[in-house]
Amino acid sequence: MQPLVNIQNLSLKYQQKSVLTDLNWTINCGENWVLTGTSGSGKTSLAKIIAGQQNAVREVKINFNSNSNLPAEVLFVDSWYQFKNLEGVANFYYQQRYTSQQAKDTLTVHAELVGYGKEKGLHLNQVEPILEALNFSSFASSQLIELSSGEHKKLQLVKALWLKPQLLIIDQPYTGLDALSRKNLNVLLDKIAEEGVQLILISNDDELPYAVNRFAEIIDGQLLEIEAFKGTLTVENKSKEIPDFLKSSPIYSSEQIAKMVDVNISYGDKQVLKNINWEIKAGEKWLLQGHNGSGKSTLLSLINGDHPQSYANELYLFGNKRGSGESIWDIKQHIGLISPEFHWYFDASATVWQSIASGFYDTVGLFQQLPYSKSQQVDELIEYFELTENKNELLNHLPLGKQRLVLLARTIIKNPELLILDEPCQGLDQQQTQYFNQLIDELCANGMTVIYVGHFDTQLPKTLTNKLVLSQGKVIENTKAYKKQLVS
Amino acid sequence: MANYFNTLPLREKLNQLGVCDFMDSSEFLDGVSALKGKKLVIVGCGAQGLNQGLNLRDSGLDVSYTLRKEAIEGKRDSWKNATENNFKVGTYEELIPTADVVINLTPDKQHTAVVNAIMPLMKDGATLLYSHGFNIVEEGMQIRKDLTVIMVAPKCPGSEVRAEYVRGFGVPTLIAVHPENDPQGKGLAQAKAYCVGTGGHRAGVLKSSFVAEVKSDLMGEQTILCGLLQTGSILSFDKMVEKGIDAGYASKLVQYGVEVITEALKQGGITAMMDRLSNVAKIKAFEISEELKDIMRPLFQKHQDDIMSGEFSRTMMEDWAAGDKNLLKWRAETGETAFEKTPAGDVKIGEQEYFNNYLLMVAFVRAGVELAFETMVQAGIKPESAYYESLHETPLIANTIARKKLFEMNRVISDTAEYGCYLFDQACKPLLADFMKKVDTDLVGKNFNEGKDGAVDNRKLIDVNEAIRSHEVEQIGATLRKAMTAMKAIKTA
Repeated sequence: MQPLVNIQNLSLKYQQKSVLTDLNWTINCGENWVLTGTSGSGKTSLAKIIAGQQNAVREVKINFNSNSNLPAEVLFVDSWYQFKNLEGVANFYYQQRYTSQQAKDTLTVHAELVGYGKEKGLHLNQVEPILEALNFSSFASSQLIELSSGEHKKLQLVKALWLKPQLLIIDQPYTGLDALSRKNLNVLLDKIAEEGVQLILISNDDELPYAVNRFAEIIDGQLLEIEAFKGTLTVENKSKEIPDFLKSSPIYSSEQIAKMVDVNISYGDKQVLKNINWEIKAGEKWLLQGHNGSGKSTLLSLINGDHPQSYANELYLFGNKRGSGESIWDIKQHIGLISPEFHWYFDASATVWQSIASGFYDTVGLFQQLPYSKSQQVDELIEYFELTENKNELLNHLPLGKQRLVLLARTIIKNPELLILDEPCQGLDQQQTQYFNQLIDELCANGMTVIYVGHFDTQLPKTLTNKLVLSQGKVIENTKAYKKQLVS
Repeated sequence: MANYFNTLPLREKLNQLGVCDFMDSSEFLDGVSALKGKKLVIVGCGAQGLNQGLNLRDSGLDVSYTLRKEAIEGKRDSWKNATENNFKVGTYEELIPTADVVINLTPDKQHTAVVNAIMPLMKDGATLLYSHGFNIVEEGMQIRKDLTVIMVAPKCPGSEVRAEYVRGFGVPTLIAVHPENDPQGKGLAQAKAYCVGTGGHRAGVLKSSFVAEVKSDLMGEQTILCGLLQTGSILSFDKMVEKGIDAGYASKLVQYGVEVITEALKQGGITAMMDRLSNVAKIKAFEISEELKDIMRPLFQKHQDDIMSGEFSRTMMEDWAAGDKNLLKWRAETGETAFEKTPAGDVKIGEQEYFNNYLLMVAFVRAGVELAFETMVQAGIKPESAYYESLHETPLIANTIARKKLFEMNRVISDTAEYGCYLFDQACKPLLADFMKKVDTDLVGKNFNEGKDGAVDNRKLIDVNEAIRSHEVEQIGATLRKAMTAMKAIKTA
């Protein structure tokens, strides 16, 4: 029997750089692979070539099994999602999800699935159990723009599991998914693998489906088979010193960073936050957790001044009651924020340098000249993040992992009082994640306040001490010094 | 009510038409302070109303909405927009008497009724804000003498006003103070503060007058912005189908082509748009646009003359009185054109292909922008105002055509613009009949460069480039665009 995928001497250049060089890969019937590699090593490009999304190349041969009743198709699930409004325009902006506008402008999840089923000839009753398993049924009537990043990810996965193509490639299947969803996803992947779907998972994670039986890594443009998954890397402590301007403690204007008293948020009949009470004091390090759709990003949008409904709630930010004459720019100047949604909507047509510099003004894009001292700081931080050779490149010419690093640098450039890090390390490789978390630990030691959202317990900075957990829009845990409790 | 402009002596007409001052950013150092703590009440909560209100509130100002009783009781969309975003909503009687500034963001046609209803309720010395001057200038609405009357007009759709604000930028904005209603001399300070509140001060603010805004706005929307884009789109589509080009391809080329072509216009003016063509194609586009300018000049002049004399608004208001009889009829006719009824084909058209295969539209755009600009300037409107109402807005309108063709364009623009657009379109098509007979698929539908070796005469190319680049709309455009740095690129299909 012919191998499903046969790649011979595949080379790929991106601009002037060689990404893949004479790469060979054979995927035989019954094999399920995990593909790994550092950020920018060419994993996603290779996957897109196999899926026929780049220009078709002679070096790649796909032999579908004509006896199988699964669709003779390669489906690639992007780590990034994209949707358009009903008129086909995709220029949404980050805060738009929170504003209520009567023009229902995007499709609902249900309509999207009906359309997909029609296009692919699938039965709607078969998608129900998948929605159940991924805990997604309740989103049927939600508009696409209302979904969080984790929920979008699930929608893409639902479609893939429903279609069951002969070859399914998933780029970063687990990013943005909570622990339970990750577990359920693996069960579903095992099930379709049993039915004959072959998998390629691009992932650096170690909780994988049982069906995975081969492992490969891209190193220097070549595919190297590896024994098994290496598991969590431990990198040596990075000795590199952080730039001086980040060593000084932030100057707090108020001891109280944020305080919420019985905060409620709803869209029509749907309540997303219920009676939230939460106080954050200067210098505290919070871990914020909760299942996908539990209301985390809505909660954070209140603190960042992005949510229109904050005006109707009892909310204090940096010592002032919200709606007492402050502007959102007064609030944002205290905060450095990153989230998957922020990255998604970020204007990627700016250069790396401009994107980082825009963090001084909390703008998406740079609209003013930087004074000399500030532009020096941008250069120092670029050096620290090892982005010097990319500094004049456009953000959208970089792989997602590098883009994320740029936005992380933007987040800390002004040495803010409060860092809001909502899944900051999505798309980074393990080494980059560890480096970043070490940096956060250092900044924390200097007194910065942090709110950190992370679904992977093994990938958190060490200094987090307090913990808030949301479930269905309610606080179910609010502990100070949760780590100490764990120890005792 | 008498047409306000026509009551003025010539000296004052010229004086008001000539108000035009591109404001330095240092004029906005006071921020929103002139409106801080004041009660801002917005009448109407559509796209402009909601999005301006969201921006103003996020700038620390006190904003609420007033709607007609029926809209509140019927829980209409405007009521939902306001309440679901946690704004206070009340009837005219409840909110207007408390307002320091009343912001009228209802459609033009309702202005007389709305202003007559709210004016008696407004407190002594309050401010009435318009975003378009038609009611004051063309209808001659008289405002109580104790009230201040100002205009703040963001030159973008409401959704853009919000999107640009939250990314930390803004949209270009035009402001004015009505000279008959500035009893306390606070009008300009309030208008500037309002600009800061909506973010407009970051993208360039033009100080204008009610008169200059109305006379230039009407001219721009009727001719280049809506009228000519409609005429050019329909003629191009029909020509392609007549010559055997696939209708789906033709529909897509026309629907998206004007957006792609004018994106270059937005970033670098007519020069940048023409530079996207090869040298041979550029010379051809230049020549036919010169021809188009000669053919259409009398029509542009007629529109400007009718706008200046008040003839245009008089006939349009007659149609209002007749229940929009003509408007509705013409709207229905536009919905029935072959272009409107042919869906865009599922074909891939590359970005450069839109230029190569749609040279005719490049020529239409150059001719229309330059003619509108020239005609306005000749009529006494300053180049800066003329630039905003011609070149600057063309890509924004093109964007609406890309969304849902001409139907969408005519839905998004005001009824006033739509009415003028149909007038222009009906007169322009017969004017272009002979010209269109000569047009073949090399100008629309197929790549103009095909079969040509690309050679041009040096002298000729130099002359053409010189003519394009030295036009006054290019000179003023270069200055104004510098102020509008980092304009967000409209995503193209």
